[in-house]
Amino acid sequence: MSYPWSEDVITVERGPEPGGVGGAYRVLGETLRGLKTVFKQALSKPVTIEYPEEKTPVYPRFRGRHKLHRFEDTGLEKCVGCSLCAAACPAGCIRVVAAENTPDHQVSAGERYAAVYEINLTRCIFCGYCEIACPFDAITMGVDYELADYTRSDLIFTKEMLLADPIDKTPLRAEGE
Amino acid sequence: MADQTRVLLDDIDEPGLHTIEVYERLGGYQALRKALTTMEPDEIVAELQASGLRGRGGAGFSMGQKASFMPKGTMDKYLCCNADESEPGTFKDRLLMQKNPHRLIEGIVIAAVAAGANRAFIYIRGEYVLQADILNAAVAEARARGYVGANILGSGHDVDLVVHRGAGAYICGEETALLDSLEGKRGNPRLKPPFPANQGLFRGPTLINNVETLSNVPIVIAKGAEWFKQRGTEKSTGTKVVSVSGNVQRPGNYEIELGIPAREIVYGLAGGPPPGRKVKCWFPGGSSAPVLLEEDLDRPYSFESMAEAGSMLGSGAIIVVDDSVPIVSLALRVARFYRHESCGKCVPCREGTNWTVKMLERIDRGEATPMDIEILDQVQQNIMGNCLCVLGDSMAMPVRSMIAKFKDEFIAHNERAREAADRLAVGAGLSSEPVDAAA
Amino acid sequence: MPKPEPKLITFEIDGREVQAPEGMMLVDAARLGDVEIPFFCYEPKLGAPVGACRMCLVEIEGMPKLQTSCSTPVKDGMVVSTTSERVKQAQNAVVEFLLVNHPLDCPVCDKGGECPLQDISYGWGAGRSRFIEPKRHFEKPVALSPLIAIDRERCILCYRCVRFSQEIAEDYQLVFLERGDHTFVGTHDGHPYVAPFSGNIVELCPVGALTSQAYRFRARPWDIEDAGSICTLCPSQCNVKYTTRDDTRVLRVLARDNQGVDDGWLCDKGRFGYQAIHAPERVTQPLVRDGGALRPVSWERALSEAARALARAGGRSAAIVGGQATNEEGFLVQHLMREVLGSPHVDSRPSGVLDPAQARALARPDLTAAVPDIEWAGAVLVLDTELVDEMPILDLRVRKGVRRNGVRLVVATSRPSSLDPNARAVVRFTPGAGEAFLAALGAALGDGRGLDELAGRAGASPEAVRAAADALRDAGPVVVVWGERLSGGERGRQAVARLLDLARTLELAGTEGAGLLEVPRGTNARGLREVGCLPNLAPGLADAAAAGKSAGEIAAAVPEEISALLLVHADPLSSHPDRGAWERALDRAGSVIAFADFLTPGLEEHATVVFPSESEAEKDGTMTHPDGRVQRVRQAIARPPEVLPNWQVLAELCERIGKPAGVVSGPAVFERIVASVPFYEGLTLAELGGKGVRWQERDGAGRVPESTLPEGGLEEPPPLEAADLRLGTAPSLWSGPVVEHSPILRFLLADQRVELSVEDGERLGVSTGDEVAVTVGGASVRGVARLRSDVPPGSVFLVEGTQSENATALTNGRPRAVKVARAAREVTPA
Repeated sequence: MSYPWSEDVITVERGPEPGGVGGAYRVLGETLRGLKTVFKQALSKPVTIEYPEEKTPVYPRFRGRHKLHRFEDTGLEKCVGCSLCAAACPAGCIRVVAAENTPDHQVSAGERYAAVYEINLTRCIFCGYCEIACPFDAITMGVDYELADYTRSDLIFTKEMLLADPIDKTPLRAEGE
Repeated sequence: MADQTRVLLDDIDEPGLHTIEVYERLGGYQALRKALTTMEPDEIVAELQASGLRGRGGAGFSMGQKASFMPKGTMDKYLCCNADESEPGTFKDRLLMQKNPHRLIEGIVIAAVAAGANRAFIYIRGEYVLQADILNAAVAEARARGYVGANILGSGHDVDLVVHRGAGAYICGEETALLDSLEGKRGNPRLKPPFPANQGLFRGPTLINNVETLSNVPIVIAKGAEWFKQRGTEKSTGTKVVSVSGNVQRPGNYEIELGIPAREIVYGLAGGPPPGRKVKCWFPGGSSAPVLLEEDLDRPYSFESMAEAGSMLGSGAIIVVDDSVPIVSLALRVARFYRHESCGKCVPCREGTNWTVKMLERIDRGEATPMDIEILDQVQQNIMGNCLCVLGDSMAMPVRSMIAKFKDEFIAHNERAREAADRLAVGAGLSSEPVDAAA
Repeated sequence: MPKPEPKLITFEIDGREVQAPEGMMLVDAARLGDVEIPFFCYEPKLGAPVGACRMCLVEIEGMPKLQTSCSTPVKDGMVVSTTSERVKQAQNAVVEFLLVNHPLDCPVCDKGGECPLQDISYGWGAGRSRFIEPKRHFEKPVALSPLIAIDRERCILCYRCVRFSQEIAEDYQLVFLERGDHTFVGTHDGHPYVAPFSGNIVELCPVGALTSQAYRFRARPWDIEDAGSICTLCPSQCNVKYTTRDDTRVLRVLARDNQGVDDGWLCDKGRFGYQAIHAPERVTQPLVRDGGALRPVSWERALSEAARALARAGGRSAAIVGGQATNEEGFLVQHLMREVLGSPHVDSRPSGVLDPAQARALARPDLTAAVPDIEWAGAVLVLDTELVDEMPILDLRVRKGVRRNGVRLVVATSRPSSLDPNARAVVRFTPGAGEAFLAALGAALGDGRGLDELAGRAGASPEAVRAAADALRDAGPVVVVWGERLSGGERGRQAVARLLDLARTLELAGTEGAGLLEVPRGTNARGLREVGCLPNLAPGLADAAAAGKSAGEIAAAVPEEISALLLVHADPLSSHPDRGAWERALDRAGSVIAFADFLTPGLEEHATVVFPSESEAEKDGTMTHPDGRVQRVRQAIARPPEVLPNWQVLAELCERIGKPAGVVSGPAVFERIVASVPFYEGLTLAELGGKGVRWQERDGAGRVPESTLPEGGLEEPPPLEAADLRLGTAPSLWSGPVVEHSPILRFLLADQRVELSVEDGERLGVSTGDEVAVTVGGASVRGVARLRSDVPPGSVFLVEGTQSENATALTNGRPRAVKVARAAREVTPA
């Protein structure tokens, strides 16, 4: 059986033919409309944020660099070194080595404390599982996102670094913004 | 006024009955003579089985049948008389041991011969100092006359009898805990099986019976199973010493024929509650029996009838509670006792009794919600049947019966207590919420 | 009691038909049908079930109440449900009750993540708690002992630890105190729970109530890995799991159940001794004596110095191999000596020469008992060994046999044994008179002629010997557990002949489940013997081409005949008798090359080259258990950077001396061993697997060299020489470098103590606690006197292997009469 050629014939709908005065008007009109947008934007404030002089505000639930917390009243660390964050971490970037509190050296509220608490931020995927796993709300995801450094090892954050407040505060977006 | 049927207590008022002279003058040790000289051990067991004598310690298991479970053979076998009478409300064994120790000894020797045991122990409650002294003296007398020891009455049977004092634990009345205690260990119940009849004291077959049960043995042997069966009902034969206590006018031990209406005991013998008060509820068989109400007093007092009413005859200790007693206090009293006496071995009893007490205390302070009463009920259900021994059930059953029968009172008690506490708090300036003046 | 034969029955559980051996507890039988029943208190290793936790309740058709499946044996046709509404409610209830007083401090609890209570709460609990009341409180954590911390709030009172103490270790220290919900586990008067096997309770605890002080807060289960191996600290060779973190540190040692070896238990030395691996004192780089002191050097220098020294000495070199050497190391050492240096002098036995014919007779497969045979034997004779110190885990096996299967135990030792209370007959003989005792026992088992005379020569009471013979006669299969000490000394040969004679009398060779079991001094003594580390035996127990000198003879031959000493995991100053001779030998030897992980005082002073050796957790190799089980030692953690495998160092030495051994890996050495030892034929590392293989149970067993039990021709034991006090020595479990260098075990470290009978103490005016000196022939050892009522008069006992005042200063392989006198307190200069 031969191939029916007629099936390859496609009908294409065409636009109106340009021409005459109508055509000229259409071209000019569109140009003017474009110019209108240009002039309007030229007069409005720019949206570019001049980082690093300026920083993008983030939402309060933004998942940035982690923070470790202390109890406000006693100053003791909330972290008891249970290592659940390390267990939950899908990137395997948290390392906890615990030690025992003694009456002379009371670091946390529980029997144990984290003698070593390190987060390798080069590996962290900022999923926030550590925050969810923490039974004492000792670790939360902060809002800092400025995480560039010159060496990789500088990005292994120790307990002291995580407990300290960041030097530069990241601006937050207000409610409903 | 109803009469007692005195069989066990027939000569109880005889002065000097605890001495062997008086006991022998009244026909004592004749049953032993009869058993040893005219009967084979198997016949004794058969006679006991035929009499339908049921254990008087609480479980109500047929005594003869229990004796028949003892394996034959020449291993070391033991008989233990459970005289660790600690159930609140029960004081019948004390009377029997104090007044008529020789009948118990006679019963023990007969039962030991029947069971083939040649070592017998009386494990007596630590607090029963006087009774232990009397028993020790009686055993010495019996030994001197040849009723206890080697080759009793020339029959060739040896039964050695030792009185052992407990150290004051309710749980040691549980038969396997009693055995552990007797072995010198911490008195904790053992897992059953193996049952003591197979592997009991020092891993030998052991027959364990209550004082009253064993005291009945000489009567069954002397007068015959037929005579014994004439008393009581078909399934609860014989007489029973009932300890009546609580809100009654004449508390005490009364011996009755099993099957008479409970009202006759409570009102007839014990004189009922004080004038102007009504029976609110009553324990038919010690504090571990579920409580029954006033209308249940018309039921016959027998093993089967009490079981039918959802309770048990237990050790035969009737505790009467009149309407002046708040039910929460009663439940708390019972629960505290069992929490204090729980041995701690199995989980439901150890934690359940302690939880129950804490919840009842909260209800008593008015800090509970109706949901807590639900939880309280469920905790009792969770204890029942899941424990190693019956101690847990012993608390759960009465407390649960109280919740079932007096639930409204529990709720009202909690409400009243809360309001009282709130008023106090306002008075002391502790609460900022004013209490509605109308409440 | 003979081992029962299991019979299969069929029962139904949750709708599926399951076959199980009759009499098996339901909870175990259910597992055969892939049904899991939760439980806490049940542990078959602890004896009869107690039914305390109530977690394993199941519904059995025909029974009105729920039954504890841990105590219900399966019967044919039983119909069981573990998922019915009633069972579920009971399980929920029990979990809820358990958590009533449990603090739920899982994040701080060491057990969190490997906790049966957590698992069961998740699996069978209702997932909610209705308990809002205040919980019970205890002081926490409290030190139950320096090794174990107890948190009583977490305890669920499952009875496991108490049962272990009461029924397995039989130290009777742990008890329950108080009652009801105030019950707690404790000891009498709050004494610390110190016992050789106390660490097992940490592993038994189903919650975090008992935790190891050494492991406390070190890691969580997801931080760690398990690495199976065997413990090399004593001949028990218990199977263990090393818990490692980051592949570099051992954090914990757990028992690994091997019915044929350890029955799932582990002693505290094996459990806590791992700390020595990470001790800062450990030798972790090669050392060479330079200017009078040992200094760290490069491997190149150490190897070349050692090779040069050995090559120079050639046939004048000798090797002492310690018991911790693996088969591979032992094989290479004897290869280095015999084939490379041409010296026949290699010995691994501290206690003297073992006759080659006797060695072959002792190795006969039909004459060797396996460890589980102890459990099911008719009678066990413990001969001249204190198991709890020398092979601790066998002590538990013997106790188990006696308690559960009614094994008749006979203890025949010089020193009072901890097994005495369990024994049917106890014989005390004079130290060193094992031969005379065996002669007397032989007489008592025979016609009794000369018994009194022979017992007199043994210093034992004839009645006791007769009682021992009565217990052994007609008992069924007899297992003789004998200590290497018996075969030591100058009459060792005659003693072994008597032992073989006893084996013939008791028909051990022809009886299933009977046999001899040696308790050697060194961990791998049997393996080293079989790979040829004895002066007169080549690999495979064949006669050596040239008989070499034994350890004692080597010491005497320095410096005239021997100029270089190779010490492989050995410090003869602490382990070999006649310390004086060894001090002289080490002093005069031209070079002393040692493989060591710790510098003992002897090495510190005398070694010229020290190669750091791998710790037990860093080693790869094989060892042979005294019952013939060849087991693998597996590497669990990385070696410190400067430590090389010992086989590699030995192979390198061979090569540098000029005759390469031709091995490129540890397994290659094993292949060489298999090729040289006929009865290891065909053995592969894969076949050994995790649990090892007894070579007697393989086809190759037939290839052990023929030997017959000697008949007659036994020498009469010599009469006792008149002596006031005779010296006996015994090693302590708590001596040696591992205990010295594990901080947590240091409190147990054995000091020298002098055990005397009360009579002798009174006669000499010595009482317990006095400092006394034991003197013989100019040498003297000081120690603290301890008067024991069960020490027989006329004997005095010292500890071998202590850090200072070692008893080896007084021993020389012969019976020694000693003098004991109160010592003046040493005045330490201010």
